[in-house]
Parts: sequence; C-alpha cells; structure tokens
Amino acid sequence: MVVKGKLKMALVAEKDIDFKKLNLKKKEKAARKKKAQKGGDKPESNGKVEEVWEDVEEAAEDSGSDEDEEELETAPMQIDFEGIDESDSDSSAGENDQENDLEDDEDDEDIPVSDLEDLDDEEKEDMIPHQRLTINNTVALTAALKRIALPTSKIPFSEHQSITTSAPVVIEDVSDDLNRELAFYAQSLSAAQEGRKLLKAEGVKFTRPTDYFAEMVKADEHMAKIKAKLIDEAASKKASSDARKQRDLKKFGKQVQVAKLQERDKERKTTMEKIKALKRKRQGADTETTNEADIFDVALEDETAKPSRKDRIGPNKRQKKDEKFGFGGKKRFKKSGDAMSSGDLTGFSSKKMKGGAKPRPGKARRASKK
Amino acid sequence: MSAYKALSKSNGDKQEAPANGIKKNKQRVLILSSRGITYRHRHLLNDLASLLPHSRKDAKLDTKSKLYQLNELAELYNCNNVFFFEARKGKDLYLWMSKAPNGPTVKMHMQNLHTMEELHFTGNCLKGSRPLLSFDASFDKEPHLRVLKELFMHIFGVPKGARKAKPFVDHVMGFTLADGKIWIRNYQISETEPSRISTSTDSTDAKPKVKKNADGKETEISLVEIGPRFVLTPIVIQEGSFGGPIIYENKEFVSPNQVRSEIRLKKAGRYNQRAEQGVERLAKKGELGLRTDGGRKAKVDELDTGTLFA
Repeated sequence: MVVKGKLKMALVAEKDIDFKKLNLKKKEKAARKKKAQKGGDKPESNGKVEEVWEDVEEAAEDSGSDEDEEELETAPMQIDFEGIDESDSDSSAGENDQENDLEDDEDDEDIPVSDLEDLDDEEKEDMIPHQRLTINNTVALTAALKRIALPTSKIPFSEHQSITTSAPVVIEDVSDDLNRELAFYAQSLSAAQEGRKLLKAEGVKFTRPTDYFAEMVKADEHMAKIKAKLIDEAASKKASSDARKQRDLKKFGKQVQVAKLQERDKERKTTMEKIKALKRKRQGADTETTNEADIFDVALEDETAKPSRKDRIGPNKRQKKDEKFGFGGKKRFKKSGDAMSSGDLTGFSSKKMKGGAKPRPGKARRASKK
Repeated sequence: MSAYKALSKSNGDKQEAPANGIKKNKQRVLILSSRGITYRHRHLLNDLASLLPHSRKDAKLDTKSKLYQLNELAELYNCNNVFFFEARKGKDLYLWMSKAPNGPTVKMHMQNLHTMEELHFTGNCLKGSRPLLSFDASFDKEPHLRVLKELFMHIFGVPKGARKAKPFVDHVMGFTLADGKIWIRNYQISETEPSRISTSTDSTDAKPKVKKNADGKETEISLVEIGPRFVLTPIVIQEGSFGGPIIYENKEFVSPNQVRSEIRLKKAGRYNQRAEQGVERLAKKGELGLRTDGGRKAKVDELDTGTLFA
C-alpha cells in the first residue's frame, strides 16, 4: 500500500500543482456523494483488482488482491479513488484517464433551464423540479473496462465476432418506425458482410450446409404457426382487395348504365324532334320547291338508317303493331256506315242502273273470245 | 472457503491456460429473474436463454434487495456473468448485467420488449449458433458505453468453444444507440445465390470460397429478423458485482414510477381545475342573487308575483 502510495505521489508530482488540488476537491466531492447514497454501496468489492481472464500469471495476483480488499475495508471513505488508481497497472493509461476526468467535469452540467422553457405552461405547472446527481466517474469506468475487456485486437476475430460500424448510426426520429428499423437493418447487414469476410479469411465455417439439420431456435410448430399466419394475412388481403374491386366495378357499372340510358333518351328525343320538324316542313312546304324536300328526305333517310337494329326494333315494332291492330280511340261502330261511306258513290254508275248489265255471252262466245 | 476458492481457481487456471499464452474467451452466463415477472418477461428470458448456449438458467430469485446473493449463485454454477431480470410492480422490468465476482454491474430499464413468439418474424437460426455482434460506433465514444459494449460482448457473444454451440454463423445481433437508449435486434443471415454460375462453384470446399470473396462473386446476404426485440436504458453502473460504489448514473433516466405519478397528477390537476370553476360559478350566481341560500339576496320587486299576490 505504502509503495503504491509513493508511486502515486511521484505521478502527481510529475504533473501540475493545480491538478493536485483538483484531485483533492474530487475526493471531497466523492465522499459527499457517498454519504448521500450510502444505501446499496458496499465498499468491499471496491478495490478488487482481478482479471476475469483465465490466465496463469493472474492467479498469484488474485490472492494478493484479496488482501488489498481487507485493508481497504478499514478505510471505506477514501476507497473510491485510491482503489481505482491502484487498479491501473499502466501509468500512462492512468494519465489519460485523469485527463478525461478533467474534460468530463465540463460536460457534467445539469440540464439548463432554457431547455425546459419550450414546454407548455400546463406541463411546466405539473413538473416537479427533480434533479438527479450526475455521476460519471470516468476513471473508475475505464478501470472497470480495462479489467474485463477482451483484447479484441490480439485475439482472432472468430473468438469474439464483434464488429463496430465505422461511422455512428444516425437516426433522426426514433419514433419513425420504418426509418429506424432500416438503420438497424443496414447496420447489421454491413456487419454480416464484413464478418463473413473476416471469418472466411480465418477459415472458419460460416454458411450452414443445406443438409445440416439441427434444433432451431424456433421449433417447427412455431414456424408452422408463423406460416399459417402469413397465409392468413395474404388471404385476407386478397379477399379485401377482391371485394374492393367488385365494389368499384359495381359503382362504375351503374354509372355506365345510367349514361347509356341517358344517351338513348337523348337520341330518341332528337329523332322525334327531327321527325316533327320534318312533318311540319312537309305540311308547310307542299307548295314550295321539291328540291328542298328532296334534300331533307335524304337527310331523313340517313337519320333513320343510322340507329342500330336494336333501336329500330324497339319503337318501330310497336308502331307496326299499332297500325295493324289499332291503338287508341273507340273500337265500336267501326264497321258501321257513316255519312262519308254513304256519300261515297265511287262504286255507282247510272249505266248499270238503266239497261242493266249486258247479258252474259254464251259459253261458245266466251270460249272463242279467249 | 476462500482458501479453497483460491486454490481451486489457481488449479483451474493452470489447466485451462493454453500453451501459447493467448487468452481464451471463456464466458458463462447465469440467467435468472426475480419473482413477480409477467409471462412476457418470462418468455423473453426463455428466448434469450435459447439464443445463448453458454448460459445457465436458474430458478427465480426470491429477493429483490439482497442481490449480492447472485454472486454466490454465479460461483456455484461456475458462471462469470450474471444476467438478471428484476420485475417491479408486475410491470416494470429492469435488467442487471454483471461480471460475476468483481463487477462492474449495469442496471438498465427494459422497454418495448417483444418476444419471439408474438413478433411472427419468419427468420430462424440454429439453436446455439454463434452470433455476429454488430455495434454502433457511438458505443466507443463514452467510457460508460464502452463498459456496456464489453458486457454485451461477453454475455451475448457465444464463446468459441461453448459446449452446446453449433459450428456455423447464421445470425447477427445488432446493438444500436439511439435517443440515449440501446436498441437490440436479432437477424438471421440468409444467403442467396446471385446467379447459377456461382452455385456450381459453391459446392466445392472452403478455399475457393475465399478466392471468390476476393473477386466479389459471393452469395448475396440479406437479413430476416428473428426476434426478440427490446430497448434498454442504462440507469446505473456499479463498480462491484451487485455492490460497490456507483460509478455512473444516467441523469436523463426518468423512472416509470415518476412518469406514472406525473400522469396521475396531471389528471388530478384537470379535476381540480373543474372543481375550482364550479366554485367560481356558484359565487358568481350568488353575486347576482340567483341562489336560494347564500350570496346576496335579490332586490324585492314590487311587481314580483310573490308580492303582488301575497
């Protein structure tokens, strides 16, 4: 202990006096913090300097560290920093750590009030001013790390199989699920590619051959469940899309039907109008030159020829039938004579009335006449 | 006991140390939980245990206060890592990760956890194959993150000679730092042939594969997620194993209890506001003489029905 203390003193003497003061201050600070926390802190395992590595050389040191532990238990207040410094076997590393600590002090500012100003008034009202103690003991952290760290640079890659990305993964909005997962995926994918390269360079088996069967993390029934779920999902998706299509078709079909009907109506109206106009013209244009009527006739013929067979059948059939069988008006006394028919003298001749008809010639005469 | 321990340790070390002096990555993880975990926590624990062939699962620990008992348990099972789920109030889950005899120990809050079963991912991997561990570069920036990374490496990385480990590498675990939290994902590495020519050469032994690698004619790698998923927020790092001084504390961490209490307070605030409004309204009515009791009495009008027909 004493020897190590001397070492430390020498180290400190090597540096500035300011630094010494700082260290003192820190000790005080740490002590205060410890008093505040007290609860779960057990100073026993504090000073242990054990390698977790299975290593021959370390065995002796292990037993030595146990003694250290006992010594330290007597003076629990100082422990923190001394223990840590002792665990640094490398003096240069210790220097770095302490420098880090200096920088760290500047970083350890609490959240400024300006950061809290952009909160709603409502939220501010309910906020409890609560400040945690900021603890970030860089020296102890690096010491702890050093104690357990795998020498990744010394051992072959296949021993640890860990890959760190060259640039930090930046995720702008953590609540944006898609982009976040994409970033994770990209990170792992690059690691997989690099890892395969490194492993194959070391001659380690990477790809599982297709005929290698072994227990999987997810059992067959689990995979079957997943498959069923996937099929279910696909089926329901398809069904819904089909239904939607059908719906759309129905809607569209109705529109088409309506449009067709309207068109037909319009057509009928126009033809009727034209016929009417034609009739009017015929009536009024009897005296006029036939030339005009001829032109119109041609147009009318065209017009009547145009509509499809189906259209012709529709109204024309009725007209024909009406003509043939009659439609509208009373049917009684249709065959009885009236003023017109009695006045009609077309079938009357006085000749017939006078001498009567000539007697019918004889058979021989009739035959010779032929 | 300690003498025996020291003796046995030194003996064991002598046997296991390789001749060339290169240290061997030897890890064994004790996995267990406290009492009072929910079924989802339990399933997640099982999922993780199935991914870690170098782990030893133990029965639930009875206590939540005397966690240093875990050190003895770890020693009993020959483990140098402890992976402990601590459930609080039947809903909050805290994850402790520790290097068994001497620390450090990390306590983290686990959120957004989804077990393998409920995620329905199509990925799958060999039980006990060694994963590739993919770390975000931001893990190297701060000392406490470096400690975390080292712990992840020890606990989630399957050591080479692990007893139940399978010889192939078919999954990759991603650790990403985002928003002050650590996001953990597990993917299957699925290799697909880019073309037919490579298929014929692929059946030959490993040496041409390496050559192919140099040419850039490799099977294409794509990832399929396996699960589980979870997010960790580091809270505290202790120097010892379940003990010792706190060497890091995350000041940005807000405990779920506080979050819940704030929500409750907010709700209570809403009620208080309404109640206050009610009182104000009553007072206003009293001022205008619209209340039968209390407040100012309304002026008696001569034309009031009460006075007219009294």
